[in-house]
Amino acid sequence: MLLTYLEAIRQGIWEEMERDPTVFCLGEDIGIYGGAFKVTDGFIDRFGPERVIDTPIAESAIVGAAFGASLTGMRPVAEFQFIDFIACAMNQISNMVAKTHYLWGAPVPLVLRGPSGGYVHGGPFHSQNPEMWFVHNPGLKVICPATPYDAKGLIKSAIRDNNPCLFFEHKYLYRRIKEEVPKDDYVVPIGRARLAREGRDLSVITYAAMVHTALEASEVLRNEGIDIEILDLRSLVPIDRSAIAETVKKTNKVIVLHEHSRTGGLAGEIAAIINEEAFDDLDGPIVRIAGLDSAIPFSPPQEHYYLPKVEDVVRESRRLKAY
Amino acid sequence: MGNSKKKSKAGSNGNRPRNGASRSNSQLLGKAVRPFDSAQGENGAPTSNHDVRTYSIPDYRLEHPNFTVRQVAEKDKHGDEHVRYEVTGDRDVPVPHIRDSKYLSKEQAIEIYRYMLLNRKMEIALENLYKQGKVVGGVYFGLGQEACSCASSYALDKDDWFAPMIRNQGSLLVRGFGASDVMMQYMAKADSPTKGRDGTSHFGDIEKRNMVSPISMLGDLIPVMSGVALGARLQGRNLAVMTWIGDGGQSTGVTYEGINFAAVQNLGLVLVVESNEWAYSTPSEMQYRCQDLAERAIGYGIPAVIVDGTDACQVYDAVHEAVARAHRGEGPTFIEAKMMRMKGHAIHDAASYVPKEMFEFWKKRDPIARFENYLLKEKKWMTGKENADLIADVERVIEEEREIAVNSPMPTPESAEGGVFCEEGCHEIKPKYGMPKVKKGTAGYKETEATVHLK
Repeated sequence: MLLTYLEAIRQGIWEEMERDPTVFCLGEDIGIYGGAFKVTDGFIDRFGPERVIDTPIAESAIVGAAFGASLTGMRPVAEFQFIDFIACAMNQISNMVAKTHYLWGAPVPLVLRGPSGGYVHGGPFHSQNPEMWFVHNPGLKVICPATPYDAKGLIKSAIRDNNPCLFFEHKYLYRRIKEEVPKDDYVVPIGRARLAREGRDLSVITYAAMVHTALEASEVLRNEGIDIEILDLRSLVPIDRSAIAETVKKTNKVIVLHEHSRTGGLAGEIAAIINEEAFDDLDGPIVRIAGLDSAIPFSPPQEHYYLPKVEDVVRESRRLKAY
Repeated sequence: MGNSKKKSKAGSNGNRPRNGASRSNSQLLGKAVRPFDSAQGENGAPTSNHDVRTYSIPDYRLEHPNFTVRQVAEKDKHGDEHVRYEVTGDRDVPVPHIRDSKYLSKEQAIEIYRYMLLNRKMEIALENLYKQGKVVGGVYFGLGQEACSCASSYALDKDDWFAPMIRNQGSLLVRGFGASDVMMQYMAKADSPTKGRDGTSHFGDIEKRNMVSPISMLGDLIPVMSGVALGARLQGRNLAVMTWIGDGGQSTGVTYEGINFAAVQNLGLVLVVESNEWAYSTPSEMQYRCQDLAERAIGYGIPAVIVDGTDACQVYDAVHEAVARAHRGEGPTFIEAKMMRMKGHAIHDAASYVPKEMFEFWKKRDPIARFENYLLKEKKWMTGKENADLIADVERVIEEEREIAVNSPMPTPESAEGGVFCEEGCHEIKPKYGMPKVKKGTAGYKETEATVHLK
């Protein structure tokens, strides 16, 4: 069936709630209102207010309560209305949730999910991509799907996982991307990258909305005889080191593309992985295309300037091809 | 506002009365809510057209210590100014009786007394291990707070959950951990509950003893314990979930979030607020403005009670009632226990900032000495010989536990690795109290067409 990215996530959670009575949702305005983006629209009618819980506006309480419930063997799915507000729950996530299994051995089957990303003029507090905060915080899985198929398969994997999973849904993709998705139950394993496009000349390593930016650029570049490969990481923790090494060994040139700020961003980590896994295979410098080192501005011309664009990928691909 | 105003019935808890507030047009009963001056008629009484709500907070204490700590600047002999704390108030009042418990049997009272002794002797042993250089880092003490830690956790049922703060090491013993577990944590030993990965009381056990590990940040356990109660309730069980917080920890935002969450969801949180006068070096006067922290419960819409935290019977009774409420599904309870932290923040801290008159006042209210006197002299439930035998037995147990702890090896360096994630085959997760019974509505899945915020 043809599903939007948003509908794929909705359906994934819905099916898991149908399948497993220990799955429940909590968050702000997720009940009768159905959530700010309507991911849980209609859930309360089906699953009842016991399993679709509207909470006070209190992110630390949401994460804390979800964590506590997970210790009793429940599988909570907590929504952040916008992922920017995850900062309010930082201590619960970083010091409570993430460290539990390592320190005292209790499993934490918990999903924290919410809309992230820019391109919708949400301004500095409704457009962020804070995934790197958690990549640098051992004990959390960080999942960033790019397609409806992956979004559904990965949310199901996250709910079934015995670890805390952070699920970053790109709000620009919610209603823009549609894809044929199997009717039957399926999961996408967490930690395996996907080749979004095969190519010979250079590799663009990216994830989430930027996969589509790279795909658009590939069409422009194809007309110029530049054949780019696009690796969609799908999750940042665990990260698929072998898929990264493999694409470098094949094309020998790499662009890392991400939406969040350049400094301390994922590209630095990928460059280090390439250095460790495939240094001898490089035929050119590793190129970074990333957001500016600033807050993400509100006004459309400024936001456009801040964020990576198709023309950035085209320009840098030409330059790297010629290197 | 008038008497005709109806209470809202909206929301998940709309049918429950909030606060237990009573309304009065004629007199003021509570000290927490006062009318504006302009609302008062002659003699300060509220005028009839104002609806004054009053609240009551039961106070089980038999005395009401009333001091004020403030900062004063003084010149030394060189004429240089120094700021120190000064205490004023009546400190010469006699020590009150222990209040008879409504619930404790003789045997239970003696068992609590034994745990209090274990608690204190364990901490003395830890102090000695520290002086012998066997402890990694510092040692935290609950001196003066043993009644609060032990009598409160003693009131829980086996299936209930708890999460201690650093001064509640006695609760670990009550809930079945060995003193050696705590000692090995402090010595960072391989056999410690966290296998050396964390120290102090920072460990947990979700299988047998239903304990959530504390973290060093204050207040975070409150929503977590509320979540434990939520998870259990979804599985059909109303559990009591207990944690403690200090007058300092009360200041954190997550404390508010957690209590409010428990209140809104009507979860069986039993929160023991240990008002122990000092948060590290900061007096409670600089931590909050209300007279009693229990007044905050009014704002959360939950019941509160004030007890003397050095009186094991008062602590037990208050927690016992709170636990019963939790088991009946009646929601959270806020218990403020007043006492004094009788040592510094940790072993390195001599607490020289505390005016010594405060230590003198509270030393006379030592929870163990008071309880011993109560059991031996007032109730005559123990003879001097039985007491001496009990103390000797506790000392023997602590010595045995100390031996176990000292003889445990240090962890290997490589044991720092692994365990970050729950891997395949590591844990089987299932609902602890049985699969939730789900009721499903008739509405099936259909695609959403609703309008949204940012497109």
